[in-house]
Amino acid sequence: MSLDKIVDGLTEVDCDVLVIGGGTAGPMAALKAKMKNPNAKVILLEKANVKRSGAISMGMDGLNNAVIPGHATPEQYTREITIANDGIVNQKAVLKYAEQCYSIIQELDKYGIRFQKNENGDFDVKKVHHLGTYVLPMPNGDTVKKALYRQLRRVQLLISNRYIATRLLQGKDGRVAGAIAVNTRTAEFLIVKAKAVILCMGAAGRLGLPASGYLFGTYENAANSGDGYAMAYHAGAKLANLECFQINPLIKDYNGPACAYVAGPFGAYTVNNEDARFIECDYWSGQMMLEFYNELQSGKGPVYLKLNHLHENTISEIESILHKVERPSRGQFHANRGTDYRGNKIEMHVSEIGFCSGHSASGVFVDEFARTTVPGLYAAGDMASVPHSYMLGAFTNGSIAGQHASDFAKDVDFAAYDPEDIARERERVLAPTRREDGIPPNQIEYKTRRFVNDYLQPPKVPQKYRLAQSRFAEVREDMETGMIARNAHELLRALEASSILDCADMAACSSLFRTESRWGLYHLRTDYPGRDDENWFCHTLLGKTDGRMICEKRAVDPYVVPIDDDEKDIYYRQRIEARA
Amino acid sequence: MAGIFEDTADLDELAEALRSADAGERRVAILALADSGLPDAVPLLASAARDPDSGIRLQAAIALGSFDGAEAADALTKALTDADPAVTRAAAESLAELKDPRNADVILPFVAHPSAFVKEAALRALKELRRPEALKPALDAMRDPNAAVRIQAVGVIGFLKLEESVPALRSAASDSDATVRRAAINALAFSQAPSSSEAIARALDDAEWPVRESAAEALGRSRSGVSAKDALIARLDDEFWQVRLKAIRSLAALKVRAAAIAIAHGLTHPEPNMRKEAAAALGELKASEALAHLERAADDIDADVRKNVRWALSQLG
Amino acid sequence: MPLANTPTSVPVVVDNEKCIADKGCTVCVDVCPLDVLRISDLTNKAYMAYDECWYCLPCQCDCPTAALTVNIPFLLK
Repeated sequence: MSLDKIVDGLTEVDCDVLVIGGGTAGPMAALKAKMKNPNAKVILLEKANVKRSGAISMGMDGLNNAVIPGHATPEQYTREITIANDGIVNQKAVLKYAEQCYSIIQELDKYGIRFQKNENGDFDVKKVHHLGTYVLPMPNGDTVKKALYRQLRRVQLLISNRYIATRLLQGKDGRVAGAIAVNTRTAEFLIVKAKAVILCMGAAGRLGLPASGYLFGTYENAANSGDGYAMAYHAGAKLANLECFQINPLIKDYNGPACAYVAGPFGAYTVNNEDARFIECDYWSGQMMLEFYNELQSGKGPVYLKLNHLHENTISEIESILHKVERPSRGQFHANRGTDYRGNKIEMHVSEIGFCSGHSASGVFVDEFARTTVPGLYAAGDMASVPHSYMLGAFTNGSIAGQHASDFAKDVDFAAYDPEDIARERERVLAPTRREDGIPPNQIEYKTRRFVNDYLQPPKVPQKYRLAQSRFAEVREDMETGMIARNAHELLRALEASSILDCADMAACSSLFRTESRWGLYHLRTDYPGRDDENWFCHTLLGKTDGRMICEKRAVDPYVVPIDDDEKDIYYRQRIEARA
Repeated sequence: MAGIFEDTADLDELAEALRSADAGERRVAILALADSGLPDAVPLLASAARDPDSGIRLQAAIALGSFDGAEAADALTKALTDADPAVTRAAAESLAELKDPRNADVILPFVAHPSAFVKEAALRALKELRRPEALKPALDAMRDPNAAVRIQAVGVIGFLKLEESVPALRSAASDSDATVRRAAINALAFSQAPSSSEAIARALDDAEWPVRESAAEALGRSRSGVSAKDALIARLDDEFWQVRLKAIRSLAALKVRAAAIAIAHGLTHPEPNMRKEAAAALGELKASEALAHLERAADDIDADVRKNVRWALSQLG
Repeated sequence: MPLANTPTSVPVVVDNEKCIADKGCTVCVDVCPLDVLRISDLTNKAYMAYDECWYCLPCQCDCPTAALTVNIPFLLK
């Protein structure tokens, strides 16, 4: 096989700020790090190509959480996110996002990213939620990546495409010293020494297996294999609330988003087989997903997205957005099946599980400056713990991380790492290439993800979880001793399989630790069906201690935006109704 | 270090490739120029926009949208009159991507161009630039026989939000074209003048339902919308529920408590969106006179309706 | 155990008449988030080398000559 032939090679470079991941948060972090200190050397490293990488590779059809003066306030948004997350949030980080996101929208607007405006040129924010008004459509959002790339080229940022980062380098004191990366087409190594590192490596979206059995037919961009979660873990960073899984409503089989946030302002909605809406919960949350799941399991399933009550003009307008911007292959999917929104409803389902703070709350623990628990290491976007942050959160928190990291790097020198660490990592990475015979990465991955579906999909049964842990250990043994990669591309998949397995283990470990149910379907335990605020009103932090995966509790910091009991009550009363 | 970072483009090499006899090679050079982000790529792309091959001109017109500034704007305005319609369309798209307000100086003269397509593209590009100098040419373009031009002219005027433009927008609210009427009605919402909300209110009786829908919505945003409350209440019987729904929303936003019972009739409408919006509006109005209507709706089959009814009841006090 | 190849119908179809990879174009290969496209040594045209598609469409949308089509694969259809 001459395709993607493995080449022996190693290059070392250094920089002030290394940003890993060129999707949404990463480009913004790199841009801001550079703008904060134009003399800083900033490198943006990406596993694919920055032009079209990450969750928004094709585009994005709207902002779900825009806090725009006149429509919502940062305090109101912080309260709603706190309640939607059952109280377990680092409010300072949420509030900071809410305060800064409007200036980011204005900046993105200047970059040429097109938001919907009314005839007076004001942002055309739509009310979708019951209380606040946060949805800003982007009917021409197919140009997001193009506009972003233009900015990166304008400042001639150092972009390194097709390198997958595998491990972080650290000094003796634990401070971050850089990262090790491997070229995905040649397997050559790249060592990047850095004073600060920002991880923007996206969701762990290739964790559960889609029902089609097709490995890459995931809800998230399948490139988001959880490499950032795994890398942060191995560097000793703490990861927060991983048991708060991501599970999303989607179009069955196609496995892409149904985009109720897009169609909603036009009057479309989700119904059961009686053509009635059934979701009581107002905000996208685990509670909403539980109601969705219950309806699917009940005699009122299946569940549909309904548009056929809308006028022809309206449907055409929705089609022009949904079939063009975020996942344009959707139009073809519907056409293949003869589904026309005018006559047919669209069958929906729930997604496989994953980690993604963009939609839920699981991520590398960060404070309001995007700092992780490892000095010099930052995280932003779908892999950092700021909940429900979506695309705008990735941009905003990426910006916060970039600026802070740039300042941090100004005052420190490179941390000294042990050269042996590189030698050891090289051996680990290249081991599958040195075998003559063995198990291909796609089989390691398939087996891991099949067990994720079999045992980890909520409702969570502890006996099944412990079984999963034994199975994962067996797969790990096979992976470490028997996986084979015949070329550089297979090596990329082998490295991803390893990240996926790490994430599967973390999902099991954190879910067993929290002995209560919380966040609706995301963490629904059969043995502890109730919420237990007395013992579990806290974050769970998962980390690596002496080579072992350990969970601990961390108190929720005092709120900066107080929540009245009445407010909580209104929300919880809704829920009780929902279960009745 | 070669190969690790994305290369900085070699413009001399790319200029050479643009002179290749092979159209494919010229096209590849344009793609590299677009990616370069270098300002010096613009003159090269401008010359490629005059290539004998229309496919190359198309690629150049797309690429120029990745740059900002007068030189790119100049090349794109020239491409608006290309012989190939695909090139002109791409040029119009790219022109609308540009954000630097100074580009207006290059684009403004094209508003008076004899071609309707060029006028339309120039106005569309001017909209986001929000330069007051665009007002006069846009007002002139409001008299254009082509509706597509008039729509874009309304856009330019609406974005500028100048009270002096109100008479022109008011007359556009009775334009012969429904899309122009809708745009003008939406654009008038910024104005504080009572005559503006009167013009919007007249559109509540428009023959086309989308115009009535826009008018009902715009009154909710309009500073003087409350003066049109009776006309809005009359629209609660519109044959299109889409119009009724917007009327309900606007009446709630304008705090027209007198509309409460008329709105409450919406709680039994067959369309769930109507019932939901009626409930929400009654809550916003704290309309205790609608208590009985709301209580009857508490067991609606639709969860969103039930939720809004519950919330509305909690607001009645 | 020895490895075998299993046949599978792949979603990405390239029209070799239109593809200008032989002129130096690498757009589709560059933009694929999953890195599954390559330029063939034999034909000098683009093709799908690995069946690992997310059918996200940048390759189809960014192709300068509209040479490439992504179909929804059978398992999802």
